Amino acid sequence: MSIEVGTEIPPFAVGEVSTEKMKTMALLLRDPNPIHWNVESVVAAGLGDRVINQGPTNKAFIVNAIIGWLGDPARLRSITVRFRGNVYGGESVEAGGVVTAIRDEDGERLADCDVWLRTGDGRDVIVGTATVVA
Amino acid sequence: MIDIDVLRDELVANEFPEGEFTIADHEHYLCADAVLSPPLPEGVAHPMYVYYTAIAGMGITLDELFAAAHSSADAGVMFGEAGFDQRKPMRVGETYTVRGGFTDAVRKESARLGIMDLVTFELEVVDRDGDVAGVSRNTFVFPRGSA
Repeated sequence: MSIEVGTEIPPFAVGEVSTEKMKTMALLLRDPNPIHWNVESVVAAGLGDRVINQGPTNKAFIVNAIIGWLGDPARLRSITVRFRGNVYGGESVEAGGVVTAIRDEDGERLADCDVWLRTGDGRDVIVGTATVVA
Repeated sequence: MIDIDVLRDELVANEFPEGEFTIADHEHYLCADAVLSPPLPEGVAHPMYVYYTAIAGMGITLDELFAAAHSSADAGVMFGEAGFDQRKPMRVGETYTVRGGFTDAVRKESARLGIMDLVTFELEVVDRDGDVAGVSRNTFVFPRGSA
């Protein structure tokens, strides 16, 4: 597999973000924020009318795209993202990215990438950068 | 509203107490299932465990972290930015030490959100050999209301 500037990370698509898996993550992370499992809390906060996925889970979808691309999770060296919007239960999202630079560092060939998570209606809810071993 | 320079000095003056976290096999299975992870090599944790381990293992609770920033969980705290370095693959079953603390606080103002403080903290995730397996950097956004 050749990795060059312009190489696209194969998309990781989620057809429908699961509200049940939000509950699992809330328990695992001991996250008491009810916006992940109680619609009434979302409405009361003026954030919409569906429960909201955990930000780190949205980021994990991007990491999944990178794992699927490279086959080895150890080749992910760093990833930094900004959270720009919410992902709601039942929405579709797609994680993707593109290689923006190739460089050598400490004897390794590294690829810098722009990465994102985009909703089905075209909102970039996460944008960021990642570095992988090319 | 606390002066931002006073807040920054308060926050960066002391590191968090050290904590630890063990990546339990069943929890990792459920987490990988919940985030729809592709298949992972045997014994290797999903890379997001740099973040999960850092947050779960840091020596203070989120409520304590928010209080240190002169805020609370019900004040509309938001995730601004999150990053991690992965230096060694995280391992299922391994116990990691977590150490670190606040690194910065800056104040910004937007027309939509008013005044907000961006508070950053950095945590090292250290394995039993003493090697830093990962570094997690996170910025929380604390709304402070109007000017």
